Amino acid sequence: MTTATQSKARTIRFKIKRSDGPGKPSYWQTFNVPVNKGEGANVISCLQYIAANPITADGTATTPVAWKAGCLEEVCGACTMVINGKVRQSCSCMMDTVAPNEGDTITLEPMRKFPVVRDLFVDRARLFESLKRVKAWVPTDNLWDLGAGPIETPEQHEVRYKLSECMSCGCCMDACPQFHKIEDDAKWQNAFIGAAPISQVRYFNLHETGATLKTERLNEMAAKGGISDCGNAQNCVKHCPKSIPLTESIAAVGRDTTIHAVKQFFTGK
Amino acid sequence: MSESANPAQPAVPTPFLLRRLHSLAGLLPIGAFVIMHLTTNASVVWGELGKGGVETYQHEVNFIHSMPLLLLIEIFGLWLPIAFHSILGFYYAFTGTSNVKHYGYGANWRYALQRFTGYFGFIFILYHVATLRWGWTWLPFSSGFDAHMAASTTAQAIRGGMDPTALAGFLIGALYLVGVLALVYHLANGLWTFAITWGITVSEGAQRRWGFACTGFGLAMAAVGTMAFVGFVTLDIEAAQQTESQMHAEVVNADTPAINELADNDNNNTTHQR
Repeated sequence: MTTATQSKARTIRFKIKRSDGPGKPSYWQTFNVPVNKGEGANVISCLQYIAANPITADGTATTPVAWKAGCLEEVCGACTMVINGKVRQSCSCMMDTVAPNEGDTITLEPMRKFPVVRDLFVDRARLFESLKRVKAWVPTDNLWDLGAGPIETPEQHEVRYKLSECMSCGCCMDACPQFHKIEDDAKWQNAFIGAAPISQVRYFNLHETGATLKTERLNEMAAKGGISDCGNAQNCVKHCPKSIPLTESIAAVGRDTTIHAVKQFFTGK
Repeated sequence: MSESANPAQPAVPTPFLLRRLHSLAGLLPIGAFVIMHLTTNASVVWGELGKGGVETYQHEVNFIHSMPLLLLIEIFGLWLPIAFHSILGFYYAFTGTSNVKHYGYGANWRYALQRFTGYFGFIFILYHVATLRWGWTWLPFSSGFDAHMAASTTAQAIRGGMDPTALAGFLIGALYLVGVLALVYHLANGLWTFAITWGITVSEGAQRRWGFACTGFGLAMAAVGTMAFVGFVTLDIEAAQQTESQMHAEVVNADTPAINELADNDNNNTTHQR
């Protein structure tokens, strides 16, 4: 960074919502971060700078800001946070795009719907529990050879490939007015499950072997906290970083659950 | 799987069943009734524009009041479904927290507005039914409805009761216009989400196209509702009373002498002659 010419350099102000631990009160701190144009600075590289230089904009020494990151290429979801009021991955948030000018301010907050561990670091364990709720897997554990897998048409492939791109980042849930932050993990089971797991129900029910668990998945969708808790605000599809057609998935699972329930009503199973 | 095998458990989970009944009730019977109600009201401006309207409206009201077991139809076809849809609706609405402040998208605003129009619409329906149907005229700025004097009493009520002041007229008039438009929005947007909930519109294209259809329906119903509102606000109440008394007398005279006498007494003693 020291080799950069003056004309390429600019200072970006980071306003960060911090918290010292679970249940601790939050507070705001501002940091100045020097950035050079064209060097691909993103929120993560700026947070790395702050970690190395934990001094606020008014010159006070403080603790380094905690955050979480993984792949740095928007496929793991670990670095998801609320940037300038909206949820997204911080690794793909490029400074030259969102803060192109000297003195531009970036606001960083932890995700709103997941318990804060520290600063920008949240606990997203509920996402994994949600996938377990809908049995988001293909049951293949057997003692015999299952043979070749089912043949998929290109059309099926096109639908399912897109759904398979879900990385369980939680953006769809963070932006959802029906999804709430719950600290007590015993209450997750009956709370609204959110868009991503609903889309996974569609994904695995479309798989010929995965469909063995279709009834159980649709039972979970009909249970408390399932598909009916969706309010159709459709923020989820706007904030999916992978552009997964979440609202289509919700409607498709709604249709399947309707048919499933009508069958149950008349046959009892 | 084990749940359905257990006879103690209902085949369809109760929360899900209630949700779907809540969704269905909004369309049938409530939505269907609202369409009928608004078009009936708009008949006050039909006919020879401003002349035949009172007769047409009176004729419509007479038809409704000639229905057998009207009270049972009202209780089981309207009041209970509306109470069911409203009470569950309040409960469901309280499970959400609007975030339009951060995510100000169209669909998110419609989500928030659907809940707000639900709250407001419920208060409006309660006031409307309480005053015009149950005769709770002790409520502020209100007057009752007389089925024999349909247009004139409706017009009177919308203008703020029997002794309207400028404030009463404005408040009640605004309540009616905004209340009707809020409920029309609630119905049109409800139709849109109904199709998603039941899985009728799945693809984004289908949802968009059905959205246009619902918007068109909503605008048409808003026009019908506004037409009726303007019709009642601009109605010549005295002229309407004369027409209605005349119509009532014709009906009464066509009946047997005994009933005729009773009806004449009725005519002399009650609100029919103003």
